[in-house]
Amino acid sequence: MAAAADVTFQRNILIKAAFGSAALIALALAVFLGGHVIAQQIISGLMLGAIYLIVAVAFTLTIGVLNFLNFTIPSLFMLTGMIAWALLKSGLLSFSGSWSWLIALFGGVVVATVASLLVERFTYRYFKAKHGDATEHAIPLVSSLGFLLIFENLVILAFGSESQRFPVPFKADLHLFGLVIGIPQIVSLVSALIVVAALSYVLKQTKIGRALRTIAENPEIASLLGVEVTQVVPVLFLLTGMLCGLAAALFTVNYGDVSPFMGDNIGTKAIAGMVLGGIGSIWGAIIGGLIVGLTETMSVHFLGGDSVEMVIWGLLLIVIIVAPRGLFGHAALGKGKL
Amino acid sequence: MSGYASGIVAILCINLIFAYGVYVTAAAGQLNLGGAGYQAIGAYAAAVLSTQGWTPGWGTIPAAMIISALVGFLIAFPVLRTRGVYMVLATFAFAQVVSGVLLRTSLFGGAIGMVVPDYLPLSVLILAAVLTTLFVFFLMASRFGLAIRAIHDDEAVATIMGVDVRGMQVTVFTIGGALAGLSGALYAHYFSFVEAQYFNPNLSIFVLLFVLIGGTQTAWGPLAGSLFFTLIPEALRIGGSWRFVVFGVTIVLMMAIRPEGMITRTLIARISSLFHRRPSSSALSLPNARPDLPDARMGDQHAK
Amino acid sequence: MPNEDMLQINGLAKRFGGLMVTQDVSFTVRRGGRKALIGPNGAGKTTLFNLMSGVYPLDLGTISLDGARIDHLPSRKRIAAGLSRSFQNIRLMPHLSVIENVMLGQHSQIVGPLALFNPIGLMRGNQARKAAEDRLKRAGLDVDPDGPVSGLPYGTRKRIEVVRALMSNPKLLMLDEPAAGLNPKETSELSSFLKEEAESGLTLLVVEHDMSFVHDLCDETLVLNFGRLIYDGPTGEVQNDPAVREAYLGTRRVSNAGGDRAA
Repeated sequence: MAAAADVTFQRNILIKAAFGSAALIALALAVFLGGHVIAQQIISGLMLGAIYLIVAVAFTLTIGVLNFLNFTIPSLFMLTGMIAWALLKSGLLSFSGSWSWLIALFGGVVVATVASLLVERFTYRYFKAKHGDATEHAIPLVSSLGFLLIFENLVILAFGSESQRFPVPFKADLHLFGLVIGIPQIVSLVSALIVVAALSYVLKQTKIGRALRTIAENPEIASLLGVEVTQVVPVLFLLTGMLCGLAAALFTVNYGDVSPFMGDNIGTKAIAGMVLGGIGSIWGAIIGGLIVGLTETMSVHFLGGDSVEMVIWGLLLIVIIVAPRGLFGHAALGKGKL
Repeated sequence: MSGYASGIVAILCINLIFAYGVYVTAAAGQLNLGGAGYQAIGAYAAAVLSTQGWTPGWGTIPAAMIISALVGFLIAFPVLRTRGVYMVLATFAFAQVVSGVLLRTSLFGGAIGMVVPDYLPLSVLILAAVLTTLFVFFLMASRFGLAIRAIHDDEAVATIMGVDVRGMQVTVFTIGGALAGLSGALYAHYFSFVEAQYFNPNLSIFVLLFVLIGGTQTAWGPLAGSLFFTLIPEALRIGGSWRFVVFGVTIVLMMAIRPEGMITRTLIARISSLFHRRPSSSALSLPNARPDLPDARMGDQHAK
Repeated sequence: MPNEDMLQINGLAKRFGGLMVTQDVSFTVRRGGRKALIGPNGAGKTTLFNLMSGVYPLDLGTISLDGARIDHLPSRKRIAAGLSRSFQNIRLMPHLSVIENVMLGQHSQIVGPLALFNPIGLMRGNQARKAAEDRLKRAGLDVDPDGPVSGLPYGTRKRIEVVRALMSNPKLLMLDEPAAGLNPKETSELSSFLKEEAESGLTLLVVEHDMSFVHDLCDETLVLNFGRLIYDGPTGEVQNDPAVREAYLGTRRVSNAGGDRAA
């Protein structure tokens, strides 16, 4: 067993290294051949991918541990942006002067996290399906679709369905080798990497991380081993809410726009990224998120804006059918009856 | 009938047929989150055939059914290689690809959509809905229905009992494709207009919810689900976003209180025993279909 | 006469990873015979059943039923060839009613695609349903045919599974611990029902821990230990066999083997 694990481990490292170097070579080649236009596309693709990857990590955590495709994630993302905008607009934060945007976003993240915990109360509790039955295993998934409808439409009722401007505090762009890089973009990529590194540490080194991984292996054995499943699972939803909130805050700062529908597109792209990388793998979600971001900017550049959906979903469909494990996934995950 | 009322009846008929298209696969234990893709294929097939005049008269409708059934048949093979979450995502991705292709192809009018020349009267929609309902009831009462319900419960045992699991699954995807395609063709002809944006992920989600909230145990489920979610908002006179909030709350509550859906086999047995007067029926004394899991568990431990 | 044997197993072997779960298993069951398969837990009895019903492919060996090889057949075609089975853990379909579960057992008997669309659930008086109800009655099961299976007592569900397996009119019926969890009255009813069926031509192969049930029902016994067959002979002499005694020694005595039953 240990030997087999070693082999997988080494294989993963090799794949990661191969991917890293391929990406660097592609980047260099693209800059060399296509000049600054392509390089600029690659940078925007990576920045967009940074947001996708955070959301993809949120998806992959819930599926990896609970075999639950959490459809509330897009609405948690959206809640952060819209609540932040509403807080800013309400004038409640005027005391904080020029930092009010940051406090507003923080407020948004808090609301999304609370919403995620609310979802937990209604989905995980009914998680133990009575039969080995496809439609009953879908109960949490269906509940989460219900929450998606509730959150989105309550926000529409409260704030209207138009997209709103969120004042972007950053004006300065960095100019590096003739490329324009926005400060928010750098912030996105760096914070995405920090968060994921921190999350990896939490999962590997801490008690709660070990508990989560034990539940992922087998919930029943986990509770036999003394893991308090009912206490650990909320932590997972807490993480989900915080990850979605962070991604949405970065998105809002980057694009300066919020709308009740902002989560739908990000959510579906993040799912695509997660599957490409392999369901249940954090590294997979990172690479997959970046690939989807790059694919998106590239297909907009080369094929036009209306081709994005088709290219990404076509790619995803092929991956699911030909290599459902994705790049780093585990064979068994996500295959259970649903 | 007022235009408003007939519009509701038309949508109800279309939703019902569409829901049955998703139901037949769900009854066999396969969740199809790409219903909109199949419906779009039927709608656009009818629209193109009608515009180009390739089929005579109402031949567009059977032709659209055949085309979407064929797509359902072909897509079943790759989709059935997948399981669980992967199947949900594969069908979802399929619908997204269909909508992407429709948006990008000039034959289909791209983002502008297509005007469909031949108008279909409401009576045809009602007839189609009634026939579809009868067909699905018949199907579920047949040995075929018994076999797919067995697959839903336990594929391995169904195989050992001699059921051709793969063949049955391909068949339900084909039938599901045909029914979703029929609903699409009727939509195209009744509303005389199709646009790719209508067949979006939300539509796939809604139709699956109609089926799951209605209940997958009997053919009554989709009927109850479609009726409930089409008529209740109209009856309550709630529109716009409140409708979806109520829809969402209903879903969350249903999953918490009665996850097996509105209509279950036990409920049907209870109602029919009211008519048949069989007081000895043990179905009456049993609150709900619940297996004694502890027993099965003991067997499991024993096996190890 | 080659067809004296209903079942012929020859040199059966199966490996899971590095573990040989069965090796070189060869035996026969004569036509109309009632043979028991016993052995300590983990001896490979259920694996042997799974190999025979095609759940796993064989590594080596042949299986012949009524003179015809069936080991190349896919799992779903073996029941039509005449091999039917029940399961150690009850595997009734939770959402099907009693009668529907039993009628599922007839699936392999239908001929042609049109028969698939025979609306057996519409009319209560149809032949298929009558045959299923009849079989339930003969097995001494007085249950509401339209009730759910899930609320029924363990022993009743266990016997419904036996009836379901019988509905395919098998040549060979393999039962995996049919008496486990049954009370003494149910056990003796089951035993006499199975004897009746065997007298009308059915061949039985039964995995069972309850030795009094085995003595009552089966004239011959096989003993499996660590995937190997260590005894094949009359049930009456199994306790005196040195190899069998050794296999059970230190774990439990043969006569006591039913003591650790699941239910």
